[in-house]
Amino acid sequence: MKANILYTHKDLVEKSKSGDRNSQYQLYKLYVDAMYNVSIRILNIKEDAEDIIQDSFVDAFKNLGSFRYESTFGSWLKRIVINKSINHLKSKKIPVIPLDQHEYHISEEIDESVDIRDIKKIKKGIAKLPNGYKQIIILYLIEGYDHKEISEILGITEATSKSQYHRAKKKLIQIINTF
Amino acid sequence: MDDFEKYIKENKLLFDEHEADQDKIWQGIESELEITKEKKSRGFIQLKSPFLKIAAGICILIGSFSILTFFTQSSMGTPEQNSAIHQELKDIDNYYKGLVSFQVALVKKHSKLSSRDKEEFLSFMDELDKEYIVLKKEMTANLNNEYILEAIVQNYKKRIELIENLLDQIKDSKKSVDNEGYIL
Repeated sequence: MKANILYTHKDLVEKSKSGDRNSQYQLYKLYVDAMYNVSIRILNIKEDAEDIIQDSFVDAFKNLGSFRYESTFGSWLKRIVINKSINHLKSKKIPVIPLDQHEYHISEEIDESVDIRDIKKIKKGIAKLPNGYKQIIILYLIEGYDHKEISEILGITEATSKSQYHRAKKKLIQIINTF
Repeated sequence: MDDFEKYIKENKLLFDEHEADQDKIWQGIESELEITKEKKSRGFIQLKSPFLKIAAGICILIGSFSILTFFTQSSMGTPEQNSAIHQELKDIDNYYKGLVSFQVALVKKHSKLSSRDKEEFLSFMDELDKEYIVLKKEMTANLNNEYILEAIVQNYKKRIELIENLLDQIKDSKKSVDNEGYIL
């Protein structure tokens, strides 16, 4: 079952590897909206996200030969988009983790009320998070990366990823509770 | 994982609220992929204009000559001789840099050359410069490393091969080119 998932769109991927423009376009159509959303969540700026998506697809098609179905094509592409988006923030000197680098060992339980089941409020809360907090919340809760993967993406330790995530989550809940 | 986290993870698709300008982005992707494809098929020295072929040949020969001079003389001399050789190399470099600059200026001013040909030439010049700088640095830092020396010899052989190919292309060209001012 897992193997089948890994080979999703295999035919299109293989034809794209050989430079078939039509297959590349079909792959693009399948993934562009999802990837655009991934990037704009991190970058917030439409034009920047468009540039990153363009670069990401170009890189992906150029380097498709190195794609060996160790993950799905979508995951592989998403990682390219995430890395480029994060690097873009770094190049603009926008913090990708909270500026305060102290590693707090916060317990798993958070005292704040967490019974928030309103997507609109959550979206609004995430949008109001300071830079640094936002990225880690997005990567963990929405993009579904674990702390090991986040540590690789952000260039921090796993422990830092965990502690910063808990701080970011606490901040998010505080913001949402003010609405 | 608490309910809050679980709720977000279960509803993460609801966070996809934007639509990409698909046509605009694809145009950019396609044009970049076409440029890459064109570059690959064009290769390093397949210049269309005979004038550019000659100019490129001159540049390769200048670079190769300078490197060979430095390589052969530096590896054999005493420290005093090497010092003199370094000065000589500097002079040679300056002389040929002047020639190259003159060539570049000619290309830039040439009214019959298209802007594409000019760009092609200047891009070729940039690549050659970069390669030359790296080689010079490596030779200075690792002159006694036989692997580096071997790599330089291989690099030189490749350059000769490139020049031979280039000369073949020039021979095939039917247009006449004024190259009297250069002794290769």
